Amino acid sequence: MLELNRLSAGYDSGNIVHDIDLRVGEGEIVALVGANGAGKSTLVKAISGIIPVRSGGLQFEEERIDRETTRARVLRGLVQVPEGRQIFAGLTVRENLRLGAHGRAKEITPPQLAEKIVQIGELFPILLQRLDQPAANLSGGQQQMLAIGRGLMADPRILILDEPSLGLSPILVAEIFQLIAGLRQKGLGILLSEQNARLSLAIANRGYVIENGKIVLGGTGAELLNNPEVAARYLGVGKAVGDTQPESNFASRLKRLLDRTE
Amino acid sequence: MIQAIQIIIGGLLQGAVFAVLALGFSLVFRVTGVINLAQGGFCVLGALLMYTLQVSYGLPVPVALLGAVFGTFLGGAVLGATTFVPALARLPVSSILVMTAGLLTLIQGVLLIGWSSTPYSLPPISGEAPAVLFGIRVPTQGFWIIGAAALIIAGLWFLLARTRLGLALRACAENRLAAQLMGIDVPRMTLLSFCLAAIIAGLGGIAVAPIISLQFDTGGFFTNFGFIAVAIGGLGTFAGAVLGGLVLGVSEQLAAGYVSSLFANGLALALLLAVLLWRPNGLFGAGPARRQDVRDEQRIQRAIVRLDGKGGLLFALIAAALMLALPLLLPSGAILNSLVITGILFIAVLGLDVLMGFAGQVSLGHAGFMAIGGYTAAVLATTYGWPPLAGIGAGIVLSLLCAVGLSLVTTRLRGHFLALATLAFGLLVDSLTVGLTDVTGGPSGLVGIPSFSVAGYVFNSPVRMYYLVAGLIIVLTVMLQGGLRSDFGRALKAVRTDQTAAAALGVNVARYKLAAVCIASVLASLSGSLYAFNFHFLSPDMVGTPRSFEMIAMLVAGGEGTLIGPLLGVALLTLIPTVFQPFALYKTFAEGLLLVLCFLWLPEGLFGAAAIWFKHALIKRKAVSG
Repeated sequence: MLELNRLSAGYDSGNIVHDIDLRVGEGEIVALVGANGAGKSTLVKAISGIIPVRSGGLQFEEERIDRETTRARVLRGLVQVPEGRQIFAGLTVRENLRLGAHGRAKEITPPQLAEKIVQIGELFPILLQRLDQPAANLSGGQQQMLAIGRGLMADPRILILDEPSLGLSPILVAEIFQLIAGLRQKGLGILLSEQNARLSLAIANRGYVIENGKIVLGGTGAELLNNPEVAARYLGVGKAVGDTQPESNFASRLKRLLDRTE
Repeated sequence: MIQAIQIIIGGLLQGAVFAVLALGFSLVFRVTGVINLAQGGFCVLGALLMYTLQVSYGLPVPVALLGAVFGTFLGGAVLGATTFVPALARLPVSSILVMTAGLLTLIQGVLLIGWSSTPYSLPPISGEAPAVLFGIRVPTQGFWIIGAAALIIAGLWFLLARTRLGLALRACAENRLAAQLMGIDVPRMTLLSFCLAAIIAGLGGIAVAPIISLQFDTGGFFTNFGFIAVAIGGLGTFAGAVLGGLVLGVSEQLAAGYVSSLFANGLALALLLAVLLWRPNGLFGAGPARRQDVRDEQRIQRAIVRLDGKGGLLFALIAAALMLALPLLLPSGAILNSLVITGILFIAVLGLDVLMGFAGQVSLGHAGFMAIGGYTAAVLATTYGWPPLAGIGAGIVLSLLCAVGLSLVTTRLRGHFLALATLAFGLLVDSLTVGLTDVTGGPSGLVGIPSFSVAGYVFNSPVRMYYLVAGLIIVLTVMLQGGLRSDFGRALKAVRTDQTAAAALGVNVARYKLAAVCIASVLASLSGSLYAFNFHFLSPDMVGTPRSFEMIAMLVAGGEGTLIGPLLGVALLTLIPTVFQPFALYKTFAEGLLLVLCFLWLPEGLFGAAAIWFKHALIKRKAVSG
């Protein structure tokens, strides 16, 4: 459904991501893992049209969309749940959810809209209880649920989740990921951009590892989880003891450096 | 009793107009996070269009009203789409604020060209005879004003609270990125809010035009009071805007009715300063101030460009030599006189450069210090026979005292609130220079000011004044250049870039801001004094709030943070009207246009652009020869 062909994007100062090939199909979770600053968010922004695609192809259901506005992409069903939740803090939970369906507002009657809010409420019961409170009053986890629920209001075909685990406690993260895994059953394609590689690869059908703006590794979720290189770099279970590659072990390097200066 | 009620009704009428203006401010602020100072300009544009259609063309009122509203909308749409929307995408909030001041000047310039400087007054919609209710006389236009205000308030409330479009507008106000991701066309919503605010202002202007006479620059008055009203009430809430307008209107009229009209303005401004000091969110605002700084971080502060090293020194020497030789090359007369004025204004702009360019503190009241310095020196020299130098000294001391007082209010303020407080200060000084007629000569000005003299040597010719000012500029520039290359200058720049980070690094932010305000006030005061001695005359409009805006235009056009760069801006705006006398009518327009264009397309200013070009040329030549 969503296809990236040698896509490059960035800011005025230059490209951040280079020649990205990536595909998300129906009912599929694709994880995009990488360290802080690897280019995940830039890529995700380019897919949503927040920043322009510099070169390469971006297709959605066999149609080129790289010149379209964000709004046009949302109308097609390409919806992003942004990093850091970005809820409308001063508006109520209900207004936040209604805004999620803004793009389709012309096709949806008020009763249908209310119906949809109830449907989202089945996924996130806590939101239903607090519909008329300002979104700012929600806890971090609830705000993340609201952000996802708001994204779902747009009837997405592809949902892009940018760092949904950011700033949440481990228990909440697990809960959110369980939910994400459940969404795939509805035929929704999910692109999950995450620093938490272990969890995201665990629920993903396929995954890509991004480093310095390039995809360095791809495979099924299980393959990547069992890849020793991925394990060493992103899962924190590498050859910590007796490491022969000093530069991959920050702690030992730091120790040597401190020894030398003494 | 009847008199009191009559005054209160008058206050409510005036307050209703302020409230309408404040609503426009609040609307644009809530959607974009920016105060649009051009608001008052649309007010006058609407009224003058109405005048042309209704009085000059004799159209029936409803048709003329439709035409005037449509014209205002069109003006808003063109200006909004070409300036405001692009600015929002790439400028920090404080720059946009000043750019909208430029827009206001631009609109005033257009009005001046289109309608000249005559005051206009619309015929009241339902005749001149006042209605009498229980023995109280109310002008019938009052009902139209109240009705229009009520209609606008209700319409706006309905739009925002009850419609899908309104929800989308509010979403833009809350979080622009998220709004975009929801498929909301954010630039279109921005433009919509800008146009709506223009229409609201236009309607307000049309409603009030029968009881206040309007001319091209009345927009400044509307902007100031709408702005003050919204600040008193609270920026973020419509109820606050409305109540703020009414409170301001009633308190103004009460003060004017029972004390004096001078005191009325003073009271309004004192009220504003008090609100800013104790309740920066306004009397009716709720919750803590949001977004003020967060939004600024999203856009990178503009870099300062300057020449350095040998190139800079060489340039400085050539410039100094040229400056000293210039009178020999020029015929004495109008041009030399303009050069003197350029130099005098440049001294004040130098101070503004330290404050805005280096420390990053917006000041919309810089001319206030010019007025203090100018009037102090002039009054002491004229009425009490003090030597000019002592007068200048006294002006500087008084300015410093005011600067410290103002700093007490402003150190805790940032962004819009800071701009507001400085504007209030400038307006307060304005109202004093106009109102203290016994001391300052009032609106018609102070005459018979002697020439500047030191120890019997009188600077009574343009050439003498020229060398005095040129010498002062060279000394001041060298001093500031040295002073700002030190830790002090770096600390100021740290404050400009990020106050919180500067504080975290151990920079005493409040102290450095105070120092910058003091330097700025001393230079402005000196400039004001020289200005008075040079013209032998001083009137409030020579050193009023429009002058503050003009100096910002000069600074930005020349290049902020470059010290000598603004000289280009000052020269441009001072000399061009002298050289091209027939174009004096277009001066206001050109000033506004220059300010807006510079903010949008030449953020480093003329000097910065030249410096960048020079650097590139230098690198190229090195590459060729090496």
